[in-house]
Amino acid sequence: MSVRGTRIPPHLQLPIAGVTPPPTEKEGQRLFPTGNFRFYRPVYRDKTPPCNNACPTGEQIQKYLDFVKHERFLDGYLTILEDNPMPSVTGRVCYHPCETACNRAEHDEPIGIRSVERFLGDYGLALADNPIAGDLPELNGTTVAIVGSGPAGLACAYHLRRRGYPSVIFEALGKPGGMLRAGIPHWHLPEEILDAEIAKLLSLGGIEIRCGVRAGEDISWEELRGYPAAFLALGQDVGRRLPVDGIGSRGVVGALEFLREAGLGRPVTVGSQVLVIGGGNTASDAARSAIRLGGGHATIVSLESETELPIVPEDLEQARDEGVAFAPNTALVRVLSCDDHVTGAVVCDAALAKDDSGAVVPRLVPGTEREVACDTIMIAIGQVQQLAWLPSYLSDGGVITADEHGRVEGTMFVGGDVMRGPSMVVDALGDGKRAARDIDRLLTAQALEPEPDVEVMPYQGLNPAYFRHAPRMPIPLTPPQQRRASQKVEVTLAYSQQEAIAESDRCMSCGVCNGCDNCYIVCPDVSVLRDARENGHYSIRTTYCKGCLVCVQECPTGCLEKVPELDFDDPADVVRMETAFAPYDGAHAEQSAFTKQLIEETIAEYDAARSGTGGNGKVAFTPNGDSGVRS
Amino acid sequence: MTTVHVEGAWAPEPDYGPGSRTPDGIKMLAGLAGTRKRLNGCAAAAYAAMYANVDVITAYPIRPYTAIMMNLSQFIADGLLDAEYIVADGEHSQLSAAFGAGSCGARAFTGSSGVGVTYAYEMYSIISGARIPIQMSIADRTLDPPGDFGSEHTDALCTRDMGWLMGWAATPQEVFDKTLIAYAIGEDPRVLLPQMVVQDGYFVSHIAGEVEMPAAAQVDAYLPPYRLPFPLDPRNPVSHGPQIHPSQGPPLQLERARAMEDAIPVIRQKTDEFGAAFGRKYAHFIEEYMLEDADIALVISGGHAVTCRAAIRLLRERGIKVGMARLMWVRPFPSDDLRAALRGVKAVGVVETNLGLGGSTYGGILAPDVTTALYHAENRPLVTSFMAGLGGETVPAAEFDWMAGKLTQAIERGAVEKPAHWVGFED
Amino acid sequence: MAKEVIRQFLPLLEEEGRGAATDDSAGRDRHYLPDTPEEDPYQAGHRTCAGCGPAIEYRWVLKAAGQDTVVAGPTGCMYVANSTYLCTPYTVPWAHTPIASGGSFTSGMAAGYEALIRKGRHPGPYPNIITMSGDGSAADIGLGPISGALYRNHDALFICYDNECYANTGIQVSPTTPFGGMTTFTPFGKAIPEGTRLPPKNLARMMAEGHPHCYVATATVGYPVDLINKTRKGLNHRGAAFMHCFTPCQKGWVYQTSMTVEIGRRVVEAGLFPVWEYDPEERRYHYFHPPVQRPVTDYLAMQGRFGHMLAEHIATVQQQANRNWETIGMDVPAELRAGEDPEHHKRMRDESYSMPLNRGVGA
Repeated sequence: MSVRGTRIPPHLQLPIAGVTPPPTEKEGQRLFPTGNFRFYRPVYRDKTPPCNNACPTGEQIQKYLDFVKHERFLDGYLTILEDNPMPSVTGRVCYHPCETACNRAEHDEPIGIRSVERFLGDYGLALADNPIAGDLPELNGTTVAIVGSGPAGLACAYHLRRRGYPSVIFEALGKPGGMLRAGIPHWHLPEEILDAEIAKLLSLGGIEIRCGVRAGEDISWEELRGYPAAFLALGQDVGRRLPVDGIGSRGVVGALEFLREAGLGRPVTVGSQVLVIGGGNTASDAARSAIRLGGGHATIVSLESETELPIVPEDLEQARDEGVAFAPNTALVRVLSCDDHVTGAVVCDAALAKDDSGAVVPRLVPGTEREVACDTIMIAIGQVQQLAWLPSYLSDGGVITADEHGRVEGTMFVGGDVMRGPSMVVDALGDGKRAARDIDRLLTAQALEPEPDVEVMPYQGLNPAYFRHAPRMPIPLTPPQQRRASQKVEVTLAYSQQEAIAESDRCMSCGVCNGCDNCYIVCPDVSVLRDARENGHYSIRTTYCKGCLVCVQECPTGCLEKVPELDFDDPADVVRMETAFAPYDGAHAEQSAFTKQLIEETIAEYDAARSGTGGNGKVAFTPNGDSGVRS
Repeated sequence: MTTVHVEGAWAPEPDYGPGSRTPDGIKMLAGLAGTRKRLNGCAAAAYAAMYANVDVITAYPIRPYTAIMMNLSQFIADGLLDAEYIVADGEHSQLSAAFGAGSCGARAFTGSSGVGVTYAYEMYSIISGARIPIQMSIADRTLDPPGDFGSEHTDALCTRDMGWLMGWAATPQEVFDKTLIAYAIGEDPRVLLPQMVVQDGYFVSHIAGEVEMPAAAQVDAYLPPYRLPFPLDPRNPVSHGPQIHPSQGPPLQLERARAMEDAIPVIRQKTDEFGAAFGRKYAHFIEEYMLEDADIALVISGGHAVTCRAAIRLLRERGIKVGMARLMWVRPFPSDDLRAALRGVKAVGVVETNLGLGGSTYGGILAPDVTTALYHAENRPLVTSFMAGLGGETVPAAEFDWMAGKLTQAIERGAVEKPAHWVGFED
Repeated sequence: MAKEVIRQFLPLLEEEGRGAATDDSAGRDRHYLPDTPEEDPYQAGHRTCAGCGPAIEYRWVLKAAGQDTVVAGPTGCMYVANSTYLCTPYTVPWAHTPIASGGSFTSGMAAGYEALIRKGRHPGPYPNIITMSGDGSAADIGLGPISGALYRNHDALFICYDNECYANTGIQVSPTTPFGGMTTFTPFGKAIPEGTRLPPKNLARMMAEGHPHCYVATATVGYPVDLINKTRKGLNHRGAAFMHCFTPCQKGWVYQTSMTVEIGRRVVEAGLFPVWEYDPEERRYHYFHPPVQRPVTDYLAMQGRFGHMLAEHIATVQQQANRNWETIGMDVPAELRAGEDPEHHKRMRDESYSMPLNRGVGA
C-alpha cells in the first residue's frame, strides 16, 4: 500500500478532486485580489457641461434635462428654481446661449433647451402651491433695497428671500416687470405669464414692490445708501437719439418707447408704412409689433448687411415669415415731413464700422441718397440710462461702474443692462442671483470670492457611439398669418410633454454622470458597484479592478477618467504581486474543509440508509485523511 | 425586474429515492425475478443496466459491444426503462457526455470496444481524477491496425494507469453481476471511482449463457441510489476542475492514489454483500482454481479462463499439479491476494491475451504487474508469460498443455527460458 | 410516475436606443441601460487579462442566465485564466471539460437533468445549461461534438466566444482567425507577407444551415443588451441553441485594453462580423443593419495583429466585407466598393484612420 504512512502538510491541503466552493457576490473570489494588476485606476469626476457653463445664471441645465427624461418634472422645476425664478419667462424669451454652446450641435442638432425650460416653467405655474414655499428660512429683518423690478431686480429679491432677507423693490413704472413687460412684446412673452411668475414670486412673502417710485426723483441716492444693502437694476430703457434732420417730427418714436407703451397696455399710434432704424433685436421686436398694431408694412433699415444683423436667427426667420422687409446696408439721412408729420425718409447706402473703443461708426456712401415713403419711423439704435442722480464717479456713458463682483461700493451692487450695456434677460437674472449671494456674504462678514474655475467638457471627450443621430424636436410655431393678426398671439408654442421628454432624451449629459450603467455593465471584473441606481452613485472595487479602462472608454458623458496608480520611480509604490503568483499558505485548506464535509455527510447518509438492510457493517476508516494503516 | 423569472415550482423536499421505474418496467422485472434467461454477455450487461435503473446512456456503434446498446435502446423504446439515450458523435463524446451526466448526479452508463476505447483515451484520467463513478461496459476487441473484430484485452488494459477500477467477467452471469458490483463499489462515497467492466469480445459478448435474474427489490437493496457529494446542482454550487499551480499537483495525485487503495476493502465488502444478497459468491480478487497443491500455475483474466479450467482438469488427470489464478480485478491490482493465492507455487505463467509492445517482458501487459507482485513474495516463484489468444483466436487445451510444459521445464531448469513465449510460434 | 420537467422562462430586456437589433428609427434615444439583472454569477478575482473581451461576455451571459444555471467550461482562456490556481469566479455550478468536450459534456448534463427531474431525483425546474467554448474548441477540435449536440437538440445553449485564435496557448491560428491576422503559427515574413492566408470558417452559418431546427445567433461585446437578450432567447428556446460571440482579445490582437467594447462595435460597422439571428420556426435569418458602414481600415488599423498588411491584403479584406454587406442586404457604399482595389490603400503602417474618441485613455 503505497499510501501507507503518507501525510499531507497543512499548506498543501486541497479539496478532493479540486472541487472548489463558489465565491460570493459580496466578496468576489478572495484568493486573488486582482487589483494588484493595475497601472491606472478609473475615477468619477464630474466636469461642467457647456450648457451649464454658458448659462449666465448658472442653471443646472443637464440636471433638469435628466429629470425630464425620467419624467420627474417637479424635480426638474425645482432645479431651475435654484438659479432662475421665472422659467416660464426665460423659456420664451431667452436667447439661449446654452443652445449655442450645446455639444450636441457637433453630433446633429443642439438640444431645444429653451423649449424644455418653458415646458417646466409652465408646469410649475400650473402647480397649486409654490413648491419651495415650505422650505424657506424665516425672514431675518434685514431689508435690502432694490431699484428696478426687471429681471435683475426680481431675481435679486428672489434669491435674497431664499436666504431669508426681505427686500423692497422701487419700480419707476406703474406695473412691475421692467423690460419684461415694457420691452418684450406680448406675442413673445404673454402678459398673463409674466404676471403669474411675478405673483408666484411675491407669494413667497418678504418682497415688496413699490411702483411709481423713480430713483433719483422719488427716492434719493442717500436714502438708498441708508439700507443695509442695495442692488441697482435700473436697466437701460432710454433709447439713443439719432441726430438727423426732422427727427423731432411726429410719427418718429423711439422703438423702446413704442414697445414700452404697447407693453403697458397704453394705446399706441402706428402707421401702415413703418421704417425701423437699427439692426438689433429691439428693431426686430419693434418692426414685428408695428405690423401687428398698425396692420401694414414694416421695413428694418440697418447699417449692417444681412449677414451682420445681430438679430437672433430664429427671430430673423420669424420676422421674414411675417412679412417684415429688410433694407440692409442703409442709413437714414434725414426725415421728410409735412405739417410736422413724417411722410417719408431719405436714405442712402451705408456700412457699419466700429472705432477703437467699439462704438458704432456709420459709413455713408455719398451719392446714393434716395427717398422712401413712410408714415412712422422708429429709432432702435441703442440704449442708455439716465444716471445723473448718481455721484458722477459711479457712472460712465450710460452704465454704472462696478468691480468684478458687480459691487459699486460698500454693500451696494449693480447688475443687468445698467452695468453691462444691452444684454440678455438671463444675464440680468445671473447678476441678481450673484448680488444676492454676495450681499449675504458681506452682511455675514465673509469675503467675496472670485467665481471658481470650471472645466468644461468638450464634445471630443464624449463617446458618441452611444448617441444615435436624431434631429431636434421641431419647435411648434403659430402660422405667420395668424401671428400678424394680433399683438397677443404667441408666436412660439410649447412642446407637449412627450416632445419635451423626447428632446431631453437627446441630452448627452456632457461630463456629468447620469447613471447610465455603462461602466457597470462593461467591467469584466465586476468592479463597478452600483451604490444606488441614481446619478453618479458608483464606486470602484479597488480590490479587483485591473485598470483596463474599458469603463472610461465607454463612458458616454466623459465623467470617468483614468489616474495613474503607480509611480515606478518611487520604490515604495511598487507592490509585489505575491498573491498573484502563488496561492498563499492555507488558503485552499479552507476549501478543502468544504469538500471534506460534503463527503463525510454523504458517507453518513449512505451508511444510515444501509444499516439494517443487510449491509455487512461499515469499513472503519476515513478516506483522504492522513492515516496509517489501511486494511 | 432584477432576478430571473422562473415558471414552475421547486418540490418541497429533495427526493433521492430510487427514482421512478416505468410501470411496464416494473412489471417486466417482476416477471423476470427468480427466472433464468439465456443471454449473451451484451444482453446480460444491458439487463444489468436496466436493473440498475441507469439515468443516462451514451452509445456509439462499434463491434462487438454495440449489442449492449441495441438492447438498451429497445428497453427504452418499449417503455421498460426510463433513461436518456444519447447517440454520441464518437467515443470521446460518449465518455464526455457520460461524464457530464455523472457530474450532475445522474447514473451514467456507457461502453465501447477496440479503437473506440482508445479514441476516448483523453477522458479516462479526467473522469477518474474528477471522481465521477460512471461505468463503461467494454466488450474488448483487438486494436487496429488493421480492423479485427476478435477479442484482445489491450484496448482496456492500455488505460490501466488512468485510475479506473477494471476487471474482466468470464461469463454472461458474471457480466450481469459485475455490472452491479462495480456500480456499488464505484459509487460508494468512500471510493467514487469510475469502473470498466470488461468481457471478451465474441467469446463472452456473443455466446449465450444462463443468467439468473433477481428481483428489482434485491437490486435496489444492494445498490443504493447514486449520490455524488458535490454534484453540479444550482442549489449547492461548486466548481469542478479548476486549473492548478504545479505546487498543488502532488497532493491531488496522492489523493487519487489513496482512492484506488481505499477501493480495496470496499471491493471485499461489496463482493461479500453481493454473495449474501444474491447467493452467488465471488472471490474478492483472485478466483483460485486447484491452487492448493499446485506446483505450476497460470495467471489469467477473462473468458479464456473457462477453457483454462477445462484444460487444467485434463492436465490434472495426467498427474500434472497445475492450478489457475483468475484476476477478478486488474485495477486495483491485487498484489496481496495474488501472493497469497500462489503461495507454494514454483512456476507461474501469465496468460497474455494482449500486447504490451516494448515492455519489460517484450510480451504482454499483465506479466510485469504479476512479476512485481511476486518479487515481494516470501518464496519467489519463477515467472514467465504466454502470448495466447491474440487477434480473437481461441486458446485451446493444447495450448494450455504447451504452457504447462514450459512451466514444468522451467522448474527443472531452475529458470525460465525467457519472460514471454509466443504460443504457436515456438517449439 | 414520471414527473413533468418544468422549464424556466427568462424575460427579454427592452432595448431602447442601444440594442443592436432595434430599428434605428425606434422612438427614444435614451442611453440608459434597461434594468439589467442584479446578479453577477461571474465574479471578480479571475485572472484574465485586463480588458478581456471573453470575460466581459461571460459576465453578461451568466448575468442573463441567473443563478439557476450549470455551466461547462472547455479548456481555453475562459477555463485557465478564470480558474487559475484552484480558484473559481463562478457562483453557479461549473465544470471544466477537455477542449473537445464542450458539446458532449453539455449533452450529458442536459440528458442528466432531463432524467433526474423526470425520475423524481431532482426537485427543481430544469436549469439553464450553458457551455462556453472558445473558437479553437467550437470551430476546430470540438466542432464535431457541438454539431452532434445541436443535431440531437439537447435543451442547452452552446456558446462560442470567438477571440479568433487559440489565445490561451499563446495566440495560435484557429479556423476563425481572419485573413491577415497574425498569430504565432501564421506569422508574417518575406515569404508569407500576409501571415494568415486562409479566410476563416463561417462557424455560425454552418451551425444554422446544418441544424435548421436550432436557434442560432451572432453577437458582439459591442452591444450588451443584444447579447443578453440573445442569451435569454437561446436559453428559452426549447432545444439546442448556438451563439457565436465576437470577443476581442487585447493580447492576441494587440490593442489598448480600453478598446475592447469599441472594437466589438467597429467590426460590425466594418462589415466583418455580421450580427444576425436565425429563427428556426421561420427558417429565416434576421440581419442587423448597423447605422454606420465603415471602411475595413477603421477596424483593422486599431489592432497590431494587422499592422503588417499590405495594400492588396487590405483590399482582400474589403472584398470579404463587401460580400458580407451584400449577404445581409445592405448596399455597398461607393467608397467601400472602391476599397476592393489595392490602389485605394496604402500599407497598414501608413494608413490613416479615424481613431475613436480618445480621452487620453491608454494612448
